Amino acid sequence: MADLRIRLGVHNLSDAQVSAFRDSYRQMMAIADNRGYQYLAGLHGTPSWYCWHHQQNAHTAQSMQLFLPWHRAYLYNWEMAMRDRVPDVTLPWWDWTLRPPRQNGVPQIFSDRSVGGQPNPLASFRMNLPNTQPPLMRNTARQPGDPAELPSQADVDDALARTDWSDFTDKLEDIHDNVHGWVSGDMGVVGTAAFDPIFWSHHAMIDRIWWLWQTKNGNANISTELLDVVLAPFTFRVRDVLNPNDLGYDYAAAQSAIPVAGATGSAGAPAAGAAGGSG
Amino acid sequence: MARAPRNPAAPAAAAPRRLRSLGVPTRSTKPARTFTSAAIPIAFAGPEHRYARADLEIDGIFHGEASYEGRVFFNNPGADQQTAKTAENGYAGSFYIFGHGGCLGDPGHCDVHEHRREDYDFRPPHPLTPAKKRVTVTQALRDIASTAAEVTVTVVPVVTAANELCDTDNVFRCATMKLVTYNA
Repeated sequence: MADLRIRLGVHNLSDAQVSAFRDSYRQMMAIADNRGYQYLAGLHGTPSWYCWHHQQNAHTAQSMQLFLPWHRAYLYNWEMAMRDRVPDVTLPWWDWTLRPPRQNGVPQIFSDRSVGGQPNPLASFRMNLPNTQPPLMRNTARQPGDPAELPSQADVDDALARTDWSDFTDKLEDIHDNVHGWVSGDMGVVGTAAFDPIFWSHHAMIDRIWWLWQTKNGNANISTELLDVVLAPFTFRVRDVLNPNDLGYDYAAAQSAIPVAGATGSAGAPAAGAAGGSG
Repeated sequence: MARAPRNPAAPAAAAPRRLRSLGVPTRSTKPARTFTSAAIPIAFAGPEHRYARADLEIDGIFHGEASYEGRVFFNNPGADQQTAKTAENGYAGSFYIFGHGGCLGDPGHCDVHEHRREDYDFRPPHPLTPAKKRVTVTQALRDIASTAAEVTVTVVPVVTAANELCDTDNVFRCATMKLVTYNA
């Protein structure tokens, strides 16, 4: 069985990990077909509008709270597309609860306009949607707010303390909504948010918080009526995405390979070790 | 010698469609209209009652246009975007709307017709089916109930992202609102 893919904190990435992350986006942005950035980002808002937000109760009294499972399926497909371009890269999570000096608002790897004399693919993406009304043919942009206004660890703890699934997902989605508005610009509205390269790391943070909640509360709280709902356009049902490990990934704060070749004494299994940091 | 046109009978090509890209969503500098409810009695939340939690539930929220923070104030109908979020001002909490940013489709694309669905229409609901938000207001309600018999709810929308397709005046629109208390 292959090792799990480990999604790491943006704030702990090594230079090589940042470079691989950038390279995956740069390559995806150069592809115009259904393997590329434009197509996959367009599944969320315009032009395809598949995303799930809020409770949508058209057919049943059961609250159709699919925000978390739908985005987990979306990130899975996104990360696979990243790895098609750069093997072994993973999607890092943006911990917007961090405060100075560790981080101050939008992390620098996303805000630098250029890297090595080239445009930074984590800063912006040129949307090419001539058939929306009106057309969208320009670079994405942001207008971030005061970093002190980002959700805090206390806000996350408040969400994690809610033991009822419905209550928890509503609270976490509200925190998520807050961050979208805080970044503002294209990230600030559903129609264009996924075209902003920071979207994916924001959602990895949301997905990670859900996983933290699941490790404490399990999944018994989720209505059985939701479990077989298909998360279109993906082929997963809700039940298929409940455990990230079944999808081949997990979250850690940091990871650093420890060389074992040439070490003294008797080494165990010659696998690279995963060392989780303190966040 | 000039080359002959491929199809001399074809009409002159139409003028190219004028493409003007939709602008970047920005924070609105113009204050949006605030909402204040009628006063409702809150005897159920008085000091003699024991409740572990109180929520303000807002249902039927329109989320098709601007994104905004909805700041909730109790018994402060004059609250506006400049009012500090403090207990002294009756601040009870905030909710956040991640708006769609206006309609980018053809006419009718963003019209919600869920009430017209047939029995065997199993397609997913319209993405603009109105939203529901819960704001936990336990302490703010306790504070108000200890000094007043009634409460008004004022919602001050602070727009965080809106483009030229968004109404930045009439931002907060909802169908129902209620206070719910829970025992431990």
